[in-house]
Amino acid sequence: MGRIEISSNMEDYLEVISELVELKGHAHVKDIADKLKVTMPSVTSALQALSTRNLLIYQSHSPVVLTRDGEETAQEIRRRHKELRRFFREILKLDEDEADKEACKMEHVVNERVMARFVELVEAILTRSDCSGLRDHLSTAMPQIAADDPEGLRSLDQLEEGRRAVIAQVAESLRGVRRFADLGIVPGTVIEMEGHAPFGDLLRVKVLGSSLSLRSNDAAYIWVKECSENDGGEL
Amino acid sequence: MTPEKMQYWHASVHDESVENTSGECFRIALAGNPNCGKTTIFNILTGSRQHVGNYPGVTVERKIGRCTIGGMRIEVIDLPGIYSLSNSSPEEKVAFNELLHQKIDLVLNVIDAGNPQRNLYLTTQLAELNLPMLMVFNMIDDAKNRGIEFDFPMLERYFGAKIVTTVGSSGEGMDKLRGGIVEMLKSGSSDQRGVRLSYGESTDAAVDELTKMVERSGFEAAKRLPARYFAIKLLENDPELSAEPRLAEISEAAAVFRNRLAARHGVSHETFMADRRYGMISGACREAIKISNDKRRQVSDNIDKIATNRFLGVPIFMAVMFLVFTFTFTCAEPLTMAVEWFFNQLANGIGMVWPEQSLPFFRALILDGVIGGVGGVLIFLPNIIMLFLAIAFLEGTGYMARAAFVMDGFMHKIGLHGKSFIPMLLGFGCSVPAIMATRTIESTRDRLTTIMVIPLMSCGARLPIYTMLIPAFFPGKAQSLVLWSIYLIGVVLAMAGARLLKSTLFKGGDEVFVMELPPYRMPTLFSLMIHMWERSVMYLRKAGTLILGASIILFVLNTFPVLHNAPMDGRIAELEQMVNPSDEDVEQLKSLEAGRRAEALRYSLAGRIGSGLAVVLRPIGFDWKVSSALIGAFAGKELFVSQLSILYSVADDEPDVAKLQSHLRESYSPLQGFCIMLFCLISMPCVATVAVVRRETNSWLLTILQLAGLTVLAYGMTLIVYQGGRLLNIGTALL
Repeated sequence: MGRIEISSNMEDYLEVISELVELKGHAHVKDIADKLKVTMPSVTSALQALSTRNLLIYQSHSPVVLTRDGEETAQEIRRRHKELRRFFREILKLDEDEADKEACKMEHVVNERVMARFVELVEAILTRSDCSGLRDHLSTAMPQIAADDPEGLRSLDQLEEGRRAVIAQVAESLRGVRRFADLGIVPGTVIEMEGHAPFGDLLRVKVLGSSLSLRSNDAAYIWVKECSENDGGEL
Repeated sequence: MTPEKMQYWHASVHDESVENTSGECFRIALAGNPNCGKTTIFNILTGSRQHVGNYPGVTVERKIGRCTIGGMRIEVIDLPGIYSLSNSSPEEKVAFNELLHQKIDLVLNVIDAGNPQRNLYLTTQLAELNLPMLMVFNMIDDAKNRGIEFDFPMLERYFGAKIVTTVGSSGEGMDKLRGGIVEMLKSGSSDQRGVRLSYGESTDAAVDELTKMVERSGFEAAKRLPARYFAIKLLENDPELSAEPRLAEISEAAAVFRNRLAARHGVSHETFMADRRYGMISGACREAIKISNDKRRQVSDNIDKIATNRFLGVPIFMAVMFLVFTFTFTCAEPLTMAVEWFFNQLANGIGMVWPEQSLPFFRALILDGVIGGVGGVLIFLPNIIMLFLAIAFLEGTGYMARAAFVMDGFMHKIGLHGKSFIPMLLGFGCSVPAIMATRTIESTRDRLTTIMVIPLMSCGARLPIYTMLIPAFFPGKAQSLVLWSIYLIGVVLAMAGARLLKSTLFKGGDEVFVMELPPYRMPTLFSLMIHMWERSVMYLRKAGTLILGASIILFVLNTFPVLHNAPMDGRIAELEQMVNPSDEDVEQLKSLEAGRRAEALRYSLAGRIGSGLAVVLRPIGFDWKVSSALIGAFAGKELFVSQLSILYSVADDEPDVAKLQSHLRESYSPLQGFCIMLFCLISMPCVATVAVVRRETNSWLLTILQLAGLTVLAYGMTLIVYQGGRLLNIGTALL
């Protein structure tokens, strides 16, 4: 098999072409340029370089076709991208954009052995039952680390009155996590802080059109991402 | 817990209503979220032909009603309001059991049309049961006002069930609903089957795989319900099902699938299925439900801005409670007095007709025992009617949840939550309706804890004891302070007791607090009446019989054996015969009669027990008279005063309080007086309370435990106070 050594820049081209072919059935120079945010002439010169290495067949004015070698290389890069992205999303708890961006940078520099072992590590952390404590820890700890972004994650009890947010993560260690889930407190739901009880630690939130009251210490296990002012939200 | 578990999959719930299986009777189960208007629909369908009972072993109510639609006899079961069938609360367990083990011909899934996304979550689970189902989109007017539009044919296809729209409060759409029910019952269940909700490709594949495994295992419960249902439950990691030994292998396979799927979707494996379900619903909602203007439940939200306000919330709650209190105890007072008057008149009337000489024992039994006992039962009825009218109103409007929300901070400190506050407050009025009011508390442990401590809230019937004893022993300035301290001691003990119980007997870290605050609504008069009626009947039937029985026993204790004191009786008869008695003679007659009553009571079983008890009660400063009076107080706390009057030979025609007080001053020290009050406050509650506790806890063990616990506590407290006081020489002489 053996991957053909090419520059990371070239790898990006192969990746994009493969994605476009999968998505639309063909890849035109214009689409590639749009996707990579480069000019059409630079695409053309890159395609020529790749075609001299037998990774694709390129004739002007017709769609780009990947050779078998090209396809294999592209698939390999995409697989890496996916695995890295998963690591950033699910272990480091980065948001989608950031995860994508970081994966794009890293996918070109790891060697095959490192990558294979890395995949095993991620799989183990995410699926093995003896890692559930670790997963809990990660889901609570990660969102807090270097959360400099003011619009980033915060725990539900920190949400100000009248503000809306999307639930990003519910820690597994939350007592009665299932009951909360049954009531709609699952990632992706829009939640609005309605206020606090006169004294004590109850707060009330609006979820899926109804008001629920829950304890602040339970709410601390629910991580949300605040919506901007004009954001709607489902129902 | 364990026996409950054992019967979970194997036996069926005991069912008192299946007795007449002669003739075809269809069974319909009403299922839906709390506050979806389910009970309103149930009431309209069945009217007053309802039976409210309890599920065995739990405090969840079981409501069954009957009706005839289109010539078909139908039994309607109103399942408790639930958000899901996850077995995470007693209500969910009960509802699930009912659906699993009973013959159900049709499930009516009531949905709050104004809030489809949440309500349809339960629908997804009900649809998996593959029972014939009819979806009832209730409160459709509200939904329309809020600009929600439904594509019903699409939703019908999606969930594989017909849809009817109704407005429960006005009865709109009920004919269509009845028509739908008839149609469904007639068509049988065959056309219904085969709808499979899709949870996404990878999840479906796992479900299919597990379904095959369940089918192969020959798990017998899977014959009644589709194997696919069990596969989903296993994938969800349902605690009961996963613990089933015959499914152990499949449950392991499910765990592998679950972990893999959860990781793939980036959610926790605990909530994985919930996430999938909501995902599916939001898909369905996007296609079939359109919201044109996002007008929320504005009015409701605005009311809440004030009602649960940080500063106004508590004062408003207090004002509402004051109204409830006034309504329950003040408005009911004329009725209570009327009941009392009626039974007095009845006893007098019969007494006139029935000559004293014929069958005297039997006469006394009827007049004092039975009529007195029935009166003792009915005397509470006005309070109960008023209280439950008020509670039904508070619950129906949605304020009850706000009250709990507002008061929670305070109650949480003693280990309970907000909903316990109202019953405890009502305890100051009367323990009987207060204990019945604990039905609004969902958590069983909290409810039992509240019931256990309610008698410590000093009830209205104890007030006569205080008002008699306090002026006897304490100077004017200290009187209100002493009264206040008695009430305060009760409250403090109740709070400490609740704390203690919650950390020992009813320890439960497993009950998660999450409560819905439903939008404010105006309840229909019909539902209020039904609720009130239901409670009153329940009280009469269950607690009433116990109270009556106990009253008669107490009567016997107080009356028998009858004392025959010939010289005294002769002298009394002689004085009564006198045509023109002088004042002196009347005086003598009165004191003789009083003396005879005191003698008779001393001679009676109660008197003898009292004398025996005095040995035990001496260390806390009580003599035989107080001890005997305490036995009488068991029938009703206020009777303590009249019993004591009899024993001190004070004529009871017009209880001469001052005279009794002077007697008491002569016999006891203020310390003893205080101890008597303390003991009356804490010790065993009255017989009506015991009966109602038995009824509400469904357990003699807990009832007796409470009785014994309170009495031991009273003894201990009084002992400390009395002996401590004597040692320190406090209150041993009149102030």
